[in-house]
Amino acid sequence: MSSLIINRSRSRSVLLWKTYGIKITSIISHSFTDSVSSSGFSSSDSTRSFKTTSSGFESGKISNLAFSRNSFVSTARTLSSEAVPVASTCDGLTVERIIANQWPILDENESDWKSHAAAIAQSIQVIKRRLQWKKLLVRLRMLSVELNKPHLWDDPTHAGKISREHGSLTGKMKGVMTFERELLEHIDMLKLAKEEKDSELESETMSALKEMRRVSKEKELEALLSAENDQCSCYIEVQAGAGGTESNDWAAMVMEMYKTWAQRRKFSVTVVDEMPGEMAGIKRATIKVNGEYAYGYAKAEVGVHRLVRISPFDSGKRRHTSFAAVAVIPILGDGSTRVQINDSDLRIERFRSGGAGGQHANTTDSAVRIIHIPTGITATCQNERSQHMNKASAMAVLQSRLDQLEMARQTAMNAQHTQSLTEISWGNQIRTYVLHPYRMVKDLRTNYEVSDPDSVLEGDLDGFILSFLSSSLDKGDDEH
Amino acid sequence: MIRSFRFTSLLSAAKPLRSFACSSSPAIEPPQCSSSSSISLRITHPKTPLFLRAPSHAAPLSEVWKWHGWAKDLASSVDDNSSPEDEDSLDSILLLRELKWLIEDSIEASDHHHPVIITGTETPRGDDGEKKSVKLRASLEELYDLWRQRIEKRRPFQYVVGCEHWRDLVLCVEEGVLIPRPETELVVDMVEEVVRGDEWFKRGVWADLGTGSGAIAIGVARVLGGCGRVIATDLSHVAIAVAGNNVRRYGLEGMVEVREGSWFEPLKDVEGKLVGLVSNPPYIPSDDIPGLQAEVGRHEPRLALDGGVDGTDSLLHLCDGASRMLTSGGFFAFETNGEKQSKMIVDYMTSNLKDSFSGVKIVSDFAGIGRFVTGFRL
Repeated sequence: MSSLIINRSRSRSVLLWKTYGIKITSIISHSFTDSVSSSGFSSSDSTRSFKTTSSGFESGKISNLAFSRNSFVSTARTLSSEAVPVASTCDGLTVERIIANQWPILDENESDWKSHAAAIAQSIQVIKRRLQWKKLLVRLRMLSVELNKPHLWDDPTHAGKISREHGSLTGKMKGVMTFERELLEHIDMLKLAKEEKDSELESETMSALKEMRRVSKEKELEALLSAENDQCSCYIEVQAGAGGTESNDWAAMVMEMYKTWAQRRKFSVTVVDEMPGEMAGIKRATIKVNGEYAYGYAKAEVGVHRLVRISPFDSGKRRHTSFAAVAVIPILGDGSTRVQINDSDLRIERFRSGGAGGQHANTTDSAVRIIHIPTGITATCQNERSQHMNKASAMAVLQSRLDQLEMARQTAMNAQHTQSLTEISWGNQIRTYVLHPYRMVKDLRTNYEVSDPDSVLEGDLDGFILSFLSSSLDKGDDEH
Repeated sequence: MIRSFRFTSLLSAAKPLRSFACSSSPAIEPPQCSSSSSISLRITHPKTPLFLRAPSHAAPLSEVWKWHGWAKDLASSVDDNSSPEDEDSLDSILLLRELKWLIEDSIEASDHHHPVIITGTETPRGDDGEKKSVKLRASLEELYDLWRQRIEKRRPFQYVVGCEHWRDLVLCVEEGVLIPRPETELVVDMVEEVVRGDEWFKRGVWADLGTGSGAIAIGVARVLGGCGRVIATDLSHVAIAVAGNNVRRYGLEGMVEVREGSWFEPLKDVEGKLVGLVSNPPYIPSDDIPGLQAEVGRHEPRLALDGGVDGTDSLLHLCDGASRMLTSGGFFAFETNGEKQSKMIVDYMTSNLKDSFSGVKIVSDFAGIGRFVTGFRL
């Protein structure tokens, strides 16, 4: 039944594009010049021929920004990565206008198309902001220019990187544009149904709109995790602050919080490295969190976490403040360019050596520490059952740390990529957990707070994570 | 049928020798033996490690929690019972890690409870523990007993679970066979390096003398990658049975041949033909044996540890044999007791056998101890 609608709307939409082609073109050329100038290109650059790799055929030379009507229609239908049409309904309704109309958003069970449309349009706006829409389009154009350079594939690594990024951004852009067009087509269809008094079509379209409204909420969430590496698995490291047993215990609580959070999210958790405190808790620990978007979520936890409570270790029952620092390292996929490690730069040590070793000792402890001499970065693993596996596991941590260092270096070089997320430094206090004299957990970045610390410490972190991700992204785009 | 047979077979050690208690594939034939000195009919049947047993026991989750709590307390209490000066004492942190592994090996994982979750930091909630039942590869009674043996009898953890994780392998071990040490993993790394440098080493015959569980032989065979051959020898029947079983478990019957006998004796047919010779022979001086760590001294086979008055009896025998057995250009790597012994061996090879070897050198283990002597036959 929905395929019927799509079929019917498809045939109609071609007509729509044709009818409104001219108007659309003018909007395009406007936004195009806009972004071209903001990206710092001279206008002659934009006369270069573009290749629509996303759709797999060449759209030919675009000699002028003022497209002819026909060529525009064809590129718009294939969603070329260069032309970004603004879709509209037969009577000129666009997503922007829907928002400007400020139609009241009612409960989703109300059969009011305006309410649905307003809700979906709002979501589209949120999604675009989260994807940093304008920057995304500029970047996409730069990548297309790059892809068209004749000697691109002389450097296959670079070319691979460019074409991967191009593909991923094109996919995101297409996703939003298709969604936007779908909304407007449904609106047209609905009006048509009303005109023709086709009540079956009307109710079908209405439920399609309702479904879109539900999907749009999902897409909003997805858009939160659209940054590079967000889909990666990651390591989470917790380090106890100064203060001995008290803060070691706090660090263990924080680590436990992440373990249960990860398990709830169906990520798999393995302990890589754990240094216990003398009396209780941990001095530091590293866990590996495996699963899609583990890094995207966990990166919101980077920073210093502060605890205020009556210490169970203080016989005087005094109030104590403890700190634990959290670091999150993405585990880059095979497709990414990773830092090359030379064997000669490594020193490998048995972590807990001593005694004659060899046949004299029977121990299940085969901890290994690897030191990368040029950077001084070390990685330790002692939770595997053989030295060989401990070494492999420590090497993986070391690789990710070096990759992260390299990414940080490149980020610093590339001001364009400086976003609020990457500005978080290890030393920033991000959240306070108060168990006494009152009970509250408060995020200092978003002011998001919860009055039940136990649930948070049991891994109920998503509220904090999502509010931080959305606030940092939504803020991020306003600045541009 | 096969499953139940496998399980009962470990209970009676008197099963016929060629049952496949641990074999991953019952259809696989045991190693082809060329001479009468190879696997003999006196062979004992290897034990099945915990992790390969069928999960044929069940216990309520609450009972498993109770056992885990008890085991944790026992592990934590070792710190209180030992004086800091006592060098040979248990370490509760290591014991707790071992306990985690014991659980991994003995509790069947399922969607509802991963072994680690069962006994993780989560406290039993509600009456969950009464209702849910957990499948175990050993009875709870046995688990109580095993953990007591570990702590009170100082039985090595690897014997308790019946296996040792070594490199990327899981090797079956039992009393009567030396538990492969982490240091020894490097012998395989050295072989790997030599083989990577020259394909010639891949095509020849290698020997691992005093193979024990078969660790080095299996590691080397996997590095050779299909074309080479490894002959593993040992004097002990138990070692021969265990090594043969491990070879089968890794499907290397075609590459690794296990032969029973002392050092070079079973190798007469390949004299002067070996491209590689590796060994971790007994090297502890006899006088040091009584003072060994309890797990080693009380439980591991003296045959695999005692190297005579200064510990070099077997090593010197190997050096002499190496000059006879290796073909020109052949590689050798021996593990030693450490710095002092390594120097003695290097001295012996560069003076007494100076016309036989080149590039003789000491290689350190990850603790920085000069652990290995390696070189090439001229």
